[in-house]
Amino acid sequence: MKPVRSTHRLGVLLAVLGLALTGCFSVSGSDGQDGRLRVGLSFPPTAGLSPYGNEATLATRLGVTEPLVVLTGGTPTPALATTWTQVSPTSWRFVLRSGVTFHDGSPLNPEAVAGSLTRAAAATPTPRALASLADTGPALTAVPDGAGGVLVTTPVPDPVLPQRLSSPELVILAPSAYADPARPSPVRAGTGPFVLTRVDGSAGATLDANPSSWRGPVGAPGIDARFLADGAARANALRAGELDVVEAIPASQVASIAPPQQVVGVPLPRSVAVYLDQRAPVFADPGVRAAVRAALAPVDVAGSIYEGRADPAAGLFGPATPWAAARPPHPVTPPAPVAGQRLRLATYSDRAELPEIAAADADALRRAGFTVDVTVLESSAFEAQLGTGAFDAVIISRSQQLDTGDPVGYLASDFSCGGSYNQARYCDPATDAILAAATASSDVEARRRAALEVEARVLAADAVVPHVTERARVGLGAGVTGVAEDPNEQFLVTAATHQG
Amino acid sequence: MTTARRLLPLLTAVLAVVVLALVVAALPWLWDDDPAAAVLRVRYPERGFSPAALDALRAELDLPADPVAGAVGWLGGALTGDLGVSWVSRAPVTPSVLAALGVSLTLALAAVVVAAVTATALLAPGVRRAAHRGGPAGRGSAVAASVLGAVPEIVLGAVLVAVVAVAWGLLPSTGFAGPSYLVLPALALGLPAGGLLARMLSSATESALAEPWVRTWRSWGTPPATVALGVARRAVATAVPQVALLTVGLLGSAVAVEQLFGIPGVGSLALDAVLAQDLPLAQAAVTVLVLLGLVLGGVGVLAHRALLGPARAGAEVAVGVPDTSGRARSWAPWAGAGVLALVVVTGLPRDPSTTVTERRLAPPSWSVPLGADALGRDLWARMAHGALLTVGTAVAVTAVCVLVGLAVGVGARSARAGVADVLNAVPPVVVGLVVAAVAGPGLLGAAVAVAAVGWVPLAVHARTLATEARASGYVRAAVLVGASPGRVARLHVLPAVVVPVVRHGLARVPHAALGIAALSFLGLGAPPDSPEWGAVLAASLAYVDRAPWTIAAPVLGLALLAVVVALVPETRTSS
Repeated sequence: MKPVRSTHRLGVLLAVLGLALTGCFSVSGSDGQDGRLRVGLSFPPTAGLSPYGNEATLATRLGVTEPLVVLTGGTPTPALATTWTQVSPTSWRFVLRSGVTFHDGSPLNPEAVAGSLTRAAAATPTPRALASLADTGPALTAVPDGAGGVLVTTPVPDPVLPQRLSSPELVILAPSAYADPARPSPVRAGTGPFVLTRVDGSAGATLDANPSSWRGPVGAPGIDARFLADGAARANALRAGELDVVEAIPASQVASIAPPQQVVGVPLPRSVAVYLDQRAPVFADPGVRAAVRAALAPVDVAGSIYEGRADPAAGLFGPATPWAAARPPHPVTPPAPVAGQRLRLATYSDRAELPEIAAADADALRRAGFTVDVTVLESSAFEAQLGTGAFDAVIISRSQQLDTGDPVGYLASDFSCGGSYNQARYCDPATDAILAAATASSDVEARRRAALEVEARVLAADAVVPHVTERARVGLGAGVTGVAEDPNEQFLVTAATHQG
Repeated sequence: MTTARRLLPLLTAVLAVVVLALVVAALPWLWDDDPAAAVLRVRYPERGFSPAALDALRAELDLPADPVAGAVGWLGGALTGDLGVSWVSRAPVTPSVLAALGVSLTLALAAVVVAAVTATALLAPGVRRAAHRGGPAGRGSAVAASVLGAVPEIVLGAVLVAVVAVAWGLLPSTGFAGPSYLVLPALALGLPAGGLLARMLSSATESALAEPWVRTWRSWGTPPATVALGVARRAVATAVPQVALLTVGLLGSAVAVEQLFGIPGVGSLALDAVLAQDLPLAQAAVTVLVLLGLVLGGVGVLAHRALLGPARAGAEVAVGVPDTSGRARSWAPWAGAGVLALVVVTGLPRDPSTTVTERRLAPPSWSVPLGADALGRDLWARMAHGALLTVGTAVAVTAVCVLVGLAVGVGARSARAGVADVLNAVPPVVVGLVVAAVAGPGLLGAAVAVAAVGWVPLAVHARTLATEARASGYVRAAVLVGASPGRVARLHVLPAVVVPVVRHGLARVPHAALGIAALSFLGLGAPPDSPEWGAVLAASLAYVDRAPWTIAAPVLGLALLAVVVALVPETRTSS
């Protein structure tokens, strides 16, 4: 053995490693001194902020992409389209805003809009807002119609098409965005107040103000966005002054955030509820389901676990949908006596509050006489087991808007026999009939009445035991104003957002 | 013969990569889940999928029909340097894996530096004293090292962020944009690792101090500094393979710390890929980690040989049996055991499970002496009720690890890298996920997962010591007079190895508890309403700066456990 040479070799190896590692830090963001906004978003993109899929909202929330219409209080209002009319039961004509250019300089014209919508309708899977139209081929066809107009035709009469077109998945991108048709890229291809210049993998993104935004002057010179999946990490970064705008602050962290930082809460159409599997043997007796509901009633989820930063639920719909306050009373099943029945209760860990709710619920159910097994899984593993009968009851946080602002679509997906996200495995032909009639109706009031009727039926059946309706908790750094308080969680940073 | 020996590590590496590629490829079947559905769930959460969408995606991704086809297909590509395309992002896998690996290597090396400095600082005073006075180094530093090694990395990280980054604003709290971003995560990972390293090194220094040459040197009037350096060199020789192991282990196992600090490391990458069933990415991440683990493991073995060189060449390593007679007894371990027992006995009659809304995050008071958690449950009661579960599981896991480690380490014919280095490099959370896929999530599955990788450092330690013992004069003499290899192992090698390895194992009892706790953070450990300390930690970490007492109870429990295990070897060797 020649120790000197070996030590020497080790030294060389370490030196080489050291040199190789100097390039391993990711590109640094700004220090916030130049007015650029540092934004913390809650989940990392996997497809470069493509509009097809969940990360479509990342692009709209950063002010990059825009749809034809936006929802204001559930009503469609102009965005890239200024007016729209239903020209036949199955077709609508949208008039485009004039003088709008994409970030790459190309004009927003009927051809570009028709191209974006046609490609989106053909995407796999079909964008959620269009899914119910896609049973028999393409969900819609879009063609240029005269100067500055686009004609959108659906296979069946669709009274809520403008609402559907507000979806972040149906934003309008420049033709240059579609180099990869499966994953359109919004880099320099949107119309919003901020130009996406760079996506740094799943770590961050860089944006500059759009000097020719149709909304007028943009407040901030640019955005440095970071994707931080850990809620505590986001809250820490806000408190340490490293971020100016932070979405989804966990309820447990709000109390630690003190001026000059603050947290604004916006009621969301999102309910946190316990879904009781209607086909689980333990729940064959409706009285047992009623006993679960009675046992969970005293658990003060909104007051204790959310510390008052969510709203106690009277039903599925909460303050974000004010029309639901007029809900009619529903029949109540008397609880059956409990004799140690075994319940498998499950939830997922991605939302920090859910495991805590599971523990509180389990304790309440045990005190009521049930035997409870609790499982907490990571959300993908959890969703894999949903609907397989692996659990008797699941605690889920569920959005009710599905990008359309339409409660009927949500109820059909969650509580109809053929619903694609029916976690209670609730199936009642009478409920399905109400949903079918409402789907065909163009009267907003009639659809809302039907929604409340269905809500009453699923509550009466104890298919779901609502805990709270959620609020968006947006953290703001010192002096940051002009952030969108959007109950649809589509918009966050806008042209008006700036610091100081 | 020699050619075959030389090819052995290469064969191990190839076999390991093939087996791991197969295991990863089999995950969807183990989970009884459709990879296409898993991929869709990641990109389109909270919605169901039509069969048409699943079929389209299956066709587009060209999903394999069975695990063997999947593994073979991926390996075929990997041989030509093509690690495949991610199923989720459709981007080539190689750049993202290499970028994440670079980040993790930087972090792991920084953490190892912290660990080495910590271990040296803990051990240096004792060695210097011993070199001056002769005799053993004393155990005060061992208790300190034990306690430091029992601090959960994630708790340390959360406290460092709350104090240094948020309250003082000295260093950034999240991100990885420059050297200043490295300090806090490296401290969080490196300090506990340093405690563990020091604990292991203290065994090595004790036996080095007991070796005859130390007495000889001292009797010749060799300057104490030279004696200390000689002892340090012997100890470092034993420690080098452990440092290599530590570096590799930190690469893949820092998931929780990576998430807390928003660091895009390879552990998180592998975890996310496995969860999303993005098999090409998962296969690439695991393979790269394992190959790097084998290389670094080999470097550790070579460095050990180099440092042992002159002694080994002269066949003069006389393995010392630490002199344990007449050692001053430390009162600290007894006090620790007493306090732990007292807390458990007095806490058992209390109610650990009833939630009391009004008591949410209540600070310590007469009615709840250790405070209450977020659901108003009595933390004293939870600590007491969880003690048996936590300590019992950790002790059982460690016992299995020590037995397997001794058998593998002493039985190993060659000091070269083997299965141990492969398993060490696989992120424990990935092992946990695989075990959970087979056995379902729960405390038992978590214990199995921790044991599956926990024996590795012990086996490497045993292997290192066995190599040294085999190089000693009396073993060579035994071989010369015709003792069979089994007899040599049993009568001559094992006695020199057992005590330090058992001691090392005991130092790892809190570590096993921490490993189970780390899986609890991912929902792979005890259920969230269990009083098991890992579950208690996972449930309370979000409240670390609002209600420090919620994590104080389990952290205190682990620290007491560490103090107690620092005591056990002393009584055993001196009896």
